[in-house]
Amino acid sequence: MRILLVEDDAMLAEGIARALRAESFVVDVAANGEDGGHLGSTELYDAAVLDLGLPRKDGVTVLREWRAEGRDLPVLILTARDGWSEKVAGFKAGADDYLTKPFRVEEVIMRLRALVRRAAGHAGALITCGRLAFDAQLGTFEMDGLPLKLTAFEWRVLSALMLRKEVVVDRGELIERVYERDADVDSNSIEVIIGRLRKKIGAEMIETVRGRGYRVTAGPA
Amino acid sequence: MRLLPRSLTGRLLAISMLTTIAALAFAAFSIGHVLERFVIRGMDQQLDAQVAMLSRAVRGDGTLDRGRIVNLPVFEQTGEGWSWSVESPRGRWTNGNAVTSEHPLRRGPGPLDHHDPDPAGALPGEGVSDTGEPVHTRELVVPTSAGDAIVVAGGPRRLATAPLREAMLPLLASLGILGLGLALATVVQLRFGLRPLRTLQAALADIRAGRTRHVPGDQPDELAPLAAELNALVDQNAAQLEHARRHVANLAHGLKTPLAALSLKLEESGRDPEGGLRAMVADIDGRVRHHLGRARASAPGSRHQTRTELARAVSDLTAVMKGIHADRAIHVAIEITPHLAVAADPQDIDEMLGNLLDNAWRHTCSSVTIAAAPSGSTVELVIEDDGPGLSEQAILEALVPGRRLDERGDGHGFGLPIAQELAELNGGSLVLGTSRSGGGLRAVLVLPAATPPL
Repeated sequence: MRILLVEDDAMLAEGIARALRAESFVVDVAANGEDGGHLGSTELYDAAVLDLGLPRKDGVTVLREWRAEGRDLPVLILTARDGWSEKVAGFKAGADDYLTKPFRVEEVIMRLRALVRRAAGHAGALITCGRLAFDAQLGTFEMDGLPLKLTAFEWRVLSALMLRKEVVVDRGELIERVYERDADVDSNSIEVIIGRLRKKIGAEMIETVRGRGYRVTAGPA
Repeated sequence: MRLLPRSLTGRLLAISMLTTIAALAFAAFSIGHVLERFVIRGMDQQLDAQVAMLSRAVRGDGTLDRGRIVNLPVFEQTGEGWSWSVESPRGRWTNGNAVTSEHPLRRGPGPLDHHDPDPAGALPGEGVSDTGEPVHTRELVVPTSAGDAIVVAGGPRRLATAPLREAMLPLLASLGILGLGLALATVVQLRFGLRPLRTLQAALADIRAGRTRHVPGDQPDELAPLAAELNALVDQNAAQLEHARRHVANLAHGLKTPLAALSLKLEESGRDPEGGLRAMVADIDGRVRHHLGRARASAPGSRHQTRTELARAVSDLTAVMKGIHADRAIHVAIEITPHLAVAADPQDIDEMLGNLLDNAWRHTCSSVTIAAAPSGSTVELVIEDDGPGLSEQAILEALVPGRRLDERGDGHGFGLPIAQELAELNGGSLVLGTSRSGGGLRAVLVLPAATPPL
């Protein structure tokens, strides 16, 4: 799950990013409204955490511009502005959720997971595919009822596939969702991760669609 | 003692009345004067003719030649008040009643009174006959060898005053009617002329009632600068409130961002094992929220100046609730009288309803009902949920700032007291109770109703 974090307070941004990464999120941080707006317009994100009081361009403006461009990524507003009129304005601009500072970082994580899950079209927290179960709210995988241990990269790939189970996920898109923007990506690394995942959950669960990408499947449809 | 009336109408009316009365009095006086001159001139012609004939009868030695005396017909009728006399050092000759001149006769040049002296040399005068009747006289001094002979002819004054009185009565009556007409015209003119002032007043009342934002600009020339100043004042007020609120928003940002960073640091494992520091951060946060919430409230005393439509505010806020509590499928029933509005600032309404609705969403099991209806000069808004509700003791505690009954989520204990405080600031009240249908919390918010739109 790749998250865009737009927050001008460096210490706060660093703290949130660290907590999100510890939960296997891919996080890009922007420190002002202009950079954040540009990233959200050009890169692929599962969700954005957007501060409102941003230098150069206000968060509400950034959000409006994204929506005007047709960018429908879920947006969680994270701001010190806790007036209800401000919340109304935020939702009218196109926000999906609103959290005020100070906040508990688990709350941010839970809300982001819920936003991503709902955006992928899952009303409930539990997504199952054959013997594999993914709790999109807690971020845990189970195989035959037993916890599945995954590395951060494996988790990112498998959660992206599970959120769109039975659907082919483009390889390039998968790479975007797994690596941070300025990461040095080895062109074969996705294949390596897929290979490791197949060993853990069974090769038949992840299907390679030549020239397109991968899909997680419970079996031949 | 104040001489000028307080009202503009009164002042203008008083000035106009005084001027009209003065003008009419002057007109009455001068018309009367002209009339009098006109009447007196007729009499003077007869008197002068008599004086001229008498003066020709005065001999050079100062005696009167009786044979040469010719009387005009009026002087033949004795008892009518016409009389003449000739007086010289050599004797005194009279005809008719004797006349006593009231004023000593002036021999020198210049008029005796306001009447011009006759070109023939006769001077006008006033006197009283021996019967006590006022007499108008003309007199001429004829020099003789024995000394000056004074020839006086007099006619009754009443012959002049009677037609004068007859003419003056209808004249004064018509002047009076003219005065009344002018007064009426002034009143009509004042009502019409001062109408823009009343329109302006109505426009200001509309601004206070929140029906409009500005005084219309198409005012008469004299009122246009006033309207412009009023509009500037209205804008300045709005800008000041906006400025204050922006300041609060900046303050919130400035206070809460470091608080958020601090809270994040404390969450990192091992830094705050007992959670005491986190509780302190939560307490600071609560206090900041409370005071910012109060600072955000529109200035007390500004109530009855704005109107907020409840249906729109509720629909905006339920959209927010559905976003914030997206994972909970809460059924919402809204029943609000159409166009129902309260006399409170929109931001205050958002704060009150936001806190109450958030509280309902947080605690409800499955449904929230929102109902609002007018109740006399107030509006009663009822929010009910089917959650566990609160005991009487808990209700008392819920309205104490900072007492947090809800330990779940990011809920803070300041929502209900802020809603209550704002309700009271806006001239209303908040009462908590138990829902009769759902058994959950029932919050009744009473606020003054807004005046209906035009």
